[in-house]
Amino acid sequence: MQTQTQSQGGSRSTGQRYTVEHETRYVYAAPVSQSWQLARLTPRHLPWQRLLSCSIQIDPPPDERHEAPDSFGNSVTHFGLHGAHRMLRVRMHCSVEVADRPPVDDAPFVAWESVRDTVRQQPELDDLVPARMCEPTLLVPLSEGARMYALESLTPRRDWLEAVTELMQRIHADFEFDPGATTVSTSVDEVLYQRRGVCQDFAHLMLACLRGHGLPARYVSGYLLTDPPEGQPRLMGVDASHAWVAAYSPECGWVEFDPTNDQVADSRYITLAWGSDFADVVPLRGVILGGGTQDMDVSVSVIPT
Amino acid sequence: MLRKLLSGYAALEDRYDELLVAPGEPRPHWDAFLRSLAEREGPGVADSLALMERQIRENGITYNVYADPKGADRPWEVDPLPLLLSAREWEEIETGIAQRAELLNQVLADIYGEQKLLKSGAIPPSVIFGHSGFLHQVQGIRPPSGVHLFNYAADLARSPDGRWWVVSDRTQAPSGAGYALENRLVVSRVFPQLFRDLHVQHLASFFSNLRESLLRWAPKGDGPPLIALLTPGPYNETYFEHALLARYLGFTLVEGSDLTVRDGRVWMKTVEGLKRVHAILRRQDDDYCDPLELRSNSALGVAGLTDCARRGTVMLANALGSGVLESGALLGYLPKLSQQLLGEKLLLPSVATWWLGEPAAFTDAWKRLDKIIIKPLDRTVREPAVFGADLSADERVLLKARVASRPQRYVAQEWVHVSQAPVLERGPELRGNHLSARTVGLRVFAVATPNGYRVMPGGLTRVAGDGDSRVIAMQRGGGSKDTWVLSDGPVNASFSLLSTTVSADDLVTARGNVPSRAAENLFWFGRYGERCDGAARLLRVAIASVLGNVDANADDLSDGLVPVLALARRFGLIDSSDNPGTELLRAATHPEEGLSLRLRQLSRVAFNMRDRMSADNWRTLNRLIADPVFQRGSSLPLALGWLDRAVTSMMTLSGYVLDGMTRGTGWRFLSIGRRIERLSSLCNALQVATHEGRAGGLEWLLELADSTVTYRSRYLVAPEWLPVLDLLMRDDTNPRSVAFQVKGLVEYVDKLERAHGRFAGDVLAPVHAGLLSLRAEDLHPESERLAALLVQLQDAARTVSDELTLKFFSHADSRSVLSLVA
Repeated sequence: MQTQTQSQGGSRSTGQRYTVEHETRYVYAAPVSQSWQLARLTPRHLPWQRLLSCSIQIDPPPDERHEAPDSFGNSVTHFGLHGAHRMLRVRMHCSVEVADRPPVDDAPFVAWESVRDTVRQQPELDDLVPARMCEPTLLVPLSEGARMYALESLTPRRDWLEAVTELMQRIHADFEFDPGATTVSTSVDEVLYQRRGVCQDFAHLMLACLRGHGLPARYVSGYLLTDPPEGQPRLMGVDASHAWVAAYSPECGWVEFDPTNDQVADSRYITLAWGSDFADVVPLRGVILGGGTQDMDVSVSVIPT
Repeated sequence: MLRKLLSGYAALEDRYDELLVAPGEPRPHWDAFLRSLAEREGPGVADSLALMERQIRENGITYNVYADPKGADRPWEVDPLPLLLSAREWEEIETGIAQRAELLNQVLADIYGEQKLLKSGAIPPSVIFGHSGFLHQVQGIRPPSGVHLFNYAADLARSPDGRWWVVSDRTQAPSGAGYALENRLVVSRVFPQLFRDLHVQHLASFFSNLRESLLRWAPKGDGPPLIALLTPGPYNETYFEHALLARYLGFTLVEGSDLTVRDGRVWMKTVEGLKRVHAILRRQDDDYCDPLELRSNSALGVAGLTDCARRGTVMLANALGSGVLESGALLGYLPKLSQQLLGEKLLLPSVATWWLGEPAAFTDAWKRLDKIIIKPLDRTVREPAVFGADLSADERVLLKARVASRPQRYVAQEWVHVSQAPVLERGPELRGNHLSARTVGLRVFAVATPNGYRVMPGGLTRVAGDGDSRVIAMQRGGGSKDTWVLSDGPVNASFSLLSTTVSADDLVTARGNVPSRAAENLFWFGRYGERCDGAARLLRVAIASVLGNVDANADDLSDGLVPVLALARRFGLIDSSDNPGTELLRAATHPEEGLSLRLRQLSRVAFNMRDRMSADNWRTLNRLIADPVFQRGSSLPLALGWLDRAVTSMMTLSGYVLDGMTRGTGWRFLSIGRRIERLSSLCNALQVATHEGRAGGLEWLLELADSTVTYRSRYLVAPEWLPVLDLLMRDDTNPRSVAFQVKGLVEYVDKLERAHGRFAGDVLAPVHAGLLSLRAEDLHPESERLAALLVQLQDAARTVSDELTLKFFSHADSRSVLSLVA
């Protein structure tokens, strides 16, 4: 897969509008008597991202439903079905406008060690979020392997942006995109060992690399344009929701790196939710009673309008 | 006498001794106790101790070391000697603990609220965010009245200078208060007079405070207040305590699967339908409480519980996320936080603890490695604490490298030479008990009330095993002691536990709440109980006939033996009739076969409903299962004696059911279970008798059905088919007859159907009618009508059991499945 240079994305000045459809279907072999679900399917409002409309249709109609933000500010749709059902369909349809993110090309030099130390010394930065995003989680535990892997990029006194960018490039170069290689529960160490995976694995790996050295970084979920504009290559991770990483420095704020496609996020990246790892942003997460074996099918389409 | 008692007891130079102020000289507050102990030396004490051990075994007080389904419960170990604390000494601990609980609650409120302490750096964020107990999902939840930390416990240790220190804080779901209560009940019986004379403070007020506070703070609505105690289940290491506390406090013991969430509220699934739960005293770890929002692979929790807490519809004690305070690194910051938040000096200090994430602390730690313990900041990280002094030079280098790669994950703690206290060592004879010294630590408990935290006067004294004096852990074979806080004047002796706190509302709620799971256990307790009784009686009849046979191994078995052995085969007690003596002996006394297997089934069900079993019930059952007959080889006559014991005990158990249980819904399920089982086994016996026993006598059948006496008193002739079948089939006044079982089933099922809708009445009606229309002409072994009815009755018993299961217990087989979708 080829990479986009970030200047191409950065050169757009007006927002790009998209229509996104994200549908999840479950078919159960036996009736499900109870189902509780959390959907994180409403794209975020951001300085560079405007949500023009968004609807989430649930079939069969849920017996209860309400919206509440989580501690990261993602919008969560809680819903429950208390009658027997054999299928569940959740369909999100939204219209969103994405402009360029603030440019980081002209950021001043800052050594990566100083980013680490500043966040430790001034935990109040960005309302404690960077401080929170330095810690291991269930899906991204401390990994000595990842820490060692990152060392090659995090050389002493190297510029933070340069070092993190190179780390992203190396992950892209060293690891093969292979949807069959991993599952949702594949660990960072396994990915490191087999050198293949999908966007979620590469994002988790990059988080482990950065956090292992005390650098704050978070997991971002969202969408990429399904069909590229004329003459541009089709990117990886467009068939379902995509995942990438946002790393923090006091000078640049949160900069979004996509190790799957080796590029910094631009107006083609629609942000759905963020958190400390995949578990915090799962688009649809639930507990059901009964159901037996289940078939699940997800389809995503992102169309420029 | 006193000198003799103390002769082997050695105080150590480098430790505080709880008992002695100088060699041979007891501390003043021990004086009266020791004197009395010395006077009672000899058989008096030995008797008390024997009584105590029996109590522990028979009450089934256990600490389940590893979750072992086979029930590898270890008996709880209590030393008969309490740890004595003077009134003055206790006052310091009490105020210190109350202050500390208050402080910790404020810290929690900040961590999940404004986070000022983290932003200002008063607590390094890594100490909190890096601890697995921090749950970002509960950020922003403010529990009722701001009480995050409802229950609090602290482990205390005493340093050589006599000061008490906090070694660790227990803030998530502190255990031990129930064991402290049980220790008190056991030990105060060994020394009843001393207990009164020394004015030992009572524990009851602590528990009534706990109950009152929960009732007061729980949100209201949807019926009378209902408090549940949430347990991970019978295989949890402290399940005994959960069951005990639930019974003692009058809360309903529930597992996650007993609860469900609808419309942002928590409901208990009871046989009477859903009942709103207002408060949950939780003994389940934070992150296992809600598979929907928290740890997704938890099969134990309640999906949606977090959201209920968020909406304020349920009081969780403790609030979710409170486990973060167990971060070992927090200890070092508490003195400053106390000044900052309370404007007070921290009264009860923590053992000096340094977070190694601070570079200065890290450097310092390696200089004083001999005097410190290095341990992970997170108790859930399975990495043992390391005593620096134990390490070789090489090991030190390795440890340093490991810690240096992630210093924020570790703390260093001062190694306190913990105090020691006397335990009673048994002499080989009745005489010769003496005292020896063991390392002790004290776990104390506090509970939030509208007037501040209240501390339990006493606590759980934990005793190190005799191997390693530095480690006090129940899992490593340590024991425990009661803790007596002495007071100068008489204590309020009104030991009326909780009785003053029962309101009219409670009278209503105390009935209904039978969780579906509990109903299922009661049902099976009824069935298995009856099955054990039936097996014991059958084996007794069979063995008696074998022994009565002049030549037991010859082919000409006595007439009665043929159907008896056939029935034993039908019930799976024996495989063949070739060698009946051996086979029956095996079935009766082998620990892995026959009767023993059935008793174990019964015991497993009983284990799952210990909160509903009285101590007497439990004791009877435990005696049965631990009967010496299973340990040593046996003979037929010995087995007969054992079977007599077993039948008597089973009757005792039934007697409790008849006499000791209220006729509520739970009782009805148990009774239905018994009747179904008895009906089914009676039908089997009658089928075998009419098929294979036509030639012989009927004494065995009457004996099996416990109806010999009744028969003899009515008919002065040897058993004949007509009167026997009349007594066992049609006579609904004979509690061992088919008619009696069916009549009862019809009545109980009818009661349930009136409240919950139809499920099995239609099945019972035709067999009941068939039974009533049975004529005297049908009462002979060749009757086809009788044979057909017996088959119908068995089918009906099976169908009622199935329909009941489907209607009331069906939640049990649907498991929660979690889906994570990309």
